[in-house]
Amino acid sequence: MTTELLSYSIIPLLSALAIPFLGRTNRKISEIIANVTLLAGLANLAYIIFHPMNRNSDYAVFSFDGLTITMLFTIYMVALCCVFFASASHMVKAEKNAFYPLIMISVSAMSSMVLARDYFTLYIFMEALAVTSFSLIAGEEGKGGIEGAIKYILLTFPASALILIGIAIMLMSGGTINFDMINSSPSTGNLAALAFITLGFAIKAGLFPFHFWTPDAYQGAPSAVSAYLAGVVTKISGIYALVKICMTIRLFGEPAKPVAFALLLAGVLTLIFGAIAALMQKDMKRMLAFSSISQMGYIAAGAATLTPVGIIGAILHIFNHATFKTSLFLNSAAIEKSAGTTDMRKMGGLEKNMPYTSWTSIIALFSTAGVPPLSGFWSKLLIIVALWVSGFKLAAVLALVFSILTLAYFMMMQKKVFFGKPREELKDVREASAYMLAPAFLMSLIIVLSGIFFPYVFEFLGKTL
Amino acid sequence: MTYNLFIYIIIAVAAVLAVTAGKMLTSAIMLAVASIALSLLLFNFNAPWAAVFELSVCAGLITVLFISAVSLVKKEDESLKESRGKFLLLPFLAAAAFIVFSITLTPWFETLSGHVKYPAGEFKVGEIIWKHRATDLLGQLTILAAAVFVIKSVFAKRSEQ
Repeated sequence: MTTELLSYSIIPLLSALAIPFLGRTNRKISEIIANVTLLAGLANLAYIIFHPMNRNSDYAVFSFDGLTITMLFTIYMVALCCVFFASASHMVKAEKNAFYPLIMISVSAMSSMVLARDYFTLYIFMEALAVTSFSLIAGEEGKGGIEGAIKYILLTFPASALILIGIAIMLMSGGTINFDMINSSPSTGNLAALAFITLGFAIKAGLFPFHFWTPDAYQGAPSAVSAYLAGVVTKISGIYALVKICMTIRLFGEPAKPVAFALLLAGVLTLIFGAIAALMQKDMKRMLAFSSISQMGYIAAGAATLTPVGIIGAILHIFNHATFKTSLFLNSAAIEKSAGTTDMRKMGGLEKNMPYTSWTSIIALFSTAGVPPLSGFWSKLLIIVALWVSGFKLAAVLALVFSILTLAYFMMMQKKVFFGKPREELKDVREASAYMLAPAFLMSLIIVLSGIFFPYVFEFLGKTL
Repeated sequence: MTYNLFIYIIIAVAAVLAVTAGKMLTSAIMLAVASIALSLLLFNFNAPWAAVFELSVCAGLITVLFISAVSLVKKEDESLKESRGKFLLLPFLAAAAFIVFSITLTPWFETLSGHVKYPAGEFKVGEIIWKHRATDLLGQLTILAAAVFVIKSVFAKRSEQ
């Protein structure tokens, strides 16, 4: 494990253990501790990334790569937005002294996954994350959450079994599970092991045809939790590891091609299926869930090209997906609180009453669809270019076509929810409070800035990858 | 030898109890006991890595997952009404299968002897856990903390209902 950054996984864990004691008499204290811990972590990470001394020395002080620090930043950013929204909106009905610690433990588990330097450590923290996710999904009243949680946990077992088989093959054939040592020993045994691990993480990432748990989980969970799960949790527990594996099998040369091709095929099918399914949804949260599945397809396809451009594109798309999907889910939560529903058939003309929510939604959906110069455009461009250059021209064309379809279904969503004549029963709906809007504003700002300053972002990742 | 025999008996008894127990929670705990005993046996067989992994995965993690899943089951469904006596046959069937496989698969296991193997006494239990797998302990702590809060959130709600 990268020990320089270990505090990013230990401090949230300690904070989780402290919350029930310190917040026993006053629940407000639980919220404050959770928010302050995440804000401090995010400020620290921003200091590491932006401090001129670190930049000039190419981050030589820290033995991490661009992927690690970008993922840590993403985890803290999304977690802070969701926790802040949950405490401002009072929409989470679960016991606060269990809800906030569970979020903090999942932040700790995700950070540890990112800092892990061998497959078994990665696996252990992935399971810790699965336990917390399960409880967060099941935490709300109603059947949807429980159904989503059960589907999630049932899929966890075969995925874990495949990953463990992979680790066993690794230990038997080469005697090591360390990332660096496997990178330098491209044997057939290690490749077979990585193929098993890839399949396991593809299940966890919700790639087609293992996607069926995601819509139920996102729809059934409380809205702030859906944003958290869709924004970062499922990305780190599944797709992050896939990108990491692609970075390893890239070094294996020709024998790795079949594994990468299988992943690419799954990625392309996922992006097609997710977009078509999203087009047919009537519920806003469910549409966002299918859109999220579709975006996973882009990331998997980009990473599976095994080219540096494709992998950087995939990493950037994980970051971008975290920004725009968190923003969209939090907006859907704000609408749910104000209008009392997420069914798009019962909405219309909300722009007049909720202008800020509408505008932040537009920025996020344009970024999802890849409209320049927003950040989503650049990552999709890198992925499509990588697909084209690697010879997967049909896949590149499909990625482009379904990007346009993404814009189509999101414009339909925007039209149904915000545009048109205001409905009579929704005329008293009021804009969300400034506190509830703050996370979506922050995300919109990041989407715009990382789009405009894309060359610097690319340089940062390219240098440290 | 006596020590190994003692562990064999613990594993067998815990495994039978895990299958035949009336309550799912008891089953999960018995499975954990069997796993801990198995990992002790693996340490004794000079397979420290396998032992540490068995301890992390089966005794720690799977138990937490099972207990979390049990917390979702309604109280009235928890005690299984049907007779579980027939499952007592299972350990005997498993033993028979083991004897058959140990005869047929021995040549295959012998081919594995060329794979990575640690010489006797190279690693001690503490050394493996603290020196080589220290981060897994942090993982275990994370899982245990998660389990506490899962039980606090899901169980608390169930008892309210």
